Amino acid sequence: MITFEGRSIALQPGQTVLAGLEADGVAVETSCRAGVCQSCLMQVTGGAPTKRAQQGLSAAQVAQGLFMPCVCTPEGDMTVARAGHAHQRVETEVHSLDPLSETVLRVRLRPLAAFAWRPGQFLRLITHDGLVRSYSIASTPEQGPLVELHVRMLPGGRMSGRLKDATSPGDRLTVSGPSGGCTYDGVAPDQPLILAGAGTGLAPLWGVLHDALARGHQGPITLYHGALNAAGLYLEDELRQLAARHANFVYRPCLMDRGEDLIATVKADPALKSAGIFLCGDGPLVERLRKTLFLAGARLADIRADAFAAAA
Amino acid sequence: MASLYERLGGAPAMEAAVDIFYRKVLTDDRISRFFEDVDMDRQAAKQKAFLTMVTGGPAHYTGLDMRKGHAHLVAQGLNDDHFDAVVELLAGTLTELGADANDIAEVGALANSVRDDVLNREPVKG
Repeated sequence: MITFEGRSIALQPGQTVLAGLEADGVAVETSCRAGVCQSCLMQVTGGAPTKRAQQGLSAAQVAQGLFMPCVCTPEGDMTVARAGHAHQRVETEVHSLDPLSETVLRVRLRPLAAFAWRPGQFLRLITHDGLVRSYSIASTPEQGPLVELHVRMLPGGRMSGRLKDATSPGDRLTVSGPSGGCTYDGVAPDQPLILAGAGTGLAPLWGVLHDALARGHQGPITLYHGALNAAGLYLEDELRQLAARHANFVYRPCLMDRGEDLIATVKADPALKSAGIFLCGDGPLVERLRKTLFLAGARLADIRADAFAAAA
Repeated sequence: MASLYERLGGAPAMEAAVDIFYRKVLTDDRISRFFEDVDMDRQAAKQKAFLTMVTGGPAHYTGLDMRKGHAHLVAQGLNDDHFDAVVELLAGTLTELGADANDIAEVGALANSVRDDVLNREPVKG
């Protein structure tokens, strides 16, 4: 038996989850129908998919419960959802709001119900009147219960303006999520790590960095933070202190006004071809980075990316 | 005899094959435009399915799937020359992975068997 969007569907013996859904009239985008192309990818929220149904998926996808229904003949009951639709909505209380720079506000939220996340994933922040924006999570649950977000102050930005001028500790905000596979899960402990981003792309990278260090990562870690000028950097002192404390961690700001191009600098990383690579920031930058690094020899399966879309 | 897919190492080998093949198509001026401006992860998954199919691995594509999946590219001018370029890069990829001339001829024949569907035209009669 499978449960999908609140209704129960009985499977015939040997029938796949995909065949069962389709027989019940559910439209699913498919292509190879043989457990390869990932067109029909779905998410499990109860029960377990078969091993075959997750073969070939990345560790981050498996950690999110993604599976391929076209080759999943379940051994027990399963509750499934379309990929990306299995979100929990949780009330939070604003713990603190403090500026990290002139343009970045750190927002810490205390979830008022169970909320499981991995640093590097993102959530949707929802105000009581329905304004929704996505933010990456910078904190690790092992450090404590607070969910930390880095909010860029955009001129005319509705959510960032609201947070800066009309939100106080103790206020309530709803979050939904988490989503995304830009997490440390699946990285080998001795694999080199390249963390690269610009602006508040540092938030997920900061989370992944702390996750890696807390889990005893042995390989070299380099964090590249791109900005137009020194005013665009933040958490700089903290990152320098971390680099001083951890022999395997290097912090490398890349400032455009000093002629340091982020993409060219990351491309020259000597560990590029074997590294686990995390790319976070504005969409066009992330896509240029991904393509450049891939063509320079990085393995596509080793690139995790979180491309932000800005909205006013 | 085991399929080329199995001899190359099955599903794990397709990961490396995609990296090689995808780099080739993105840097080939004849066809790179058909592979740009798409989600790279989704594109890689599709290429993995393609490479799995043409090496004789598990895939259940129908002619109709091929037609639907390429119709938007045909509208952008996809033609026999582009198809030939892909087959050429496919052969180069398989050579790098250790396939021999017989394997490549076999894969080329398999790829050619879906040519009319990919290019969304009726098979040439006679």
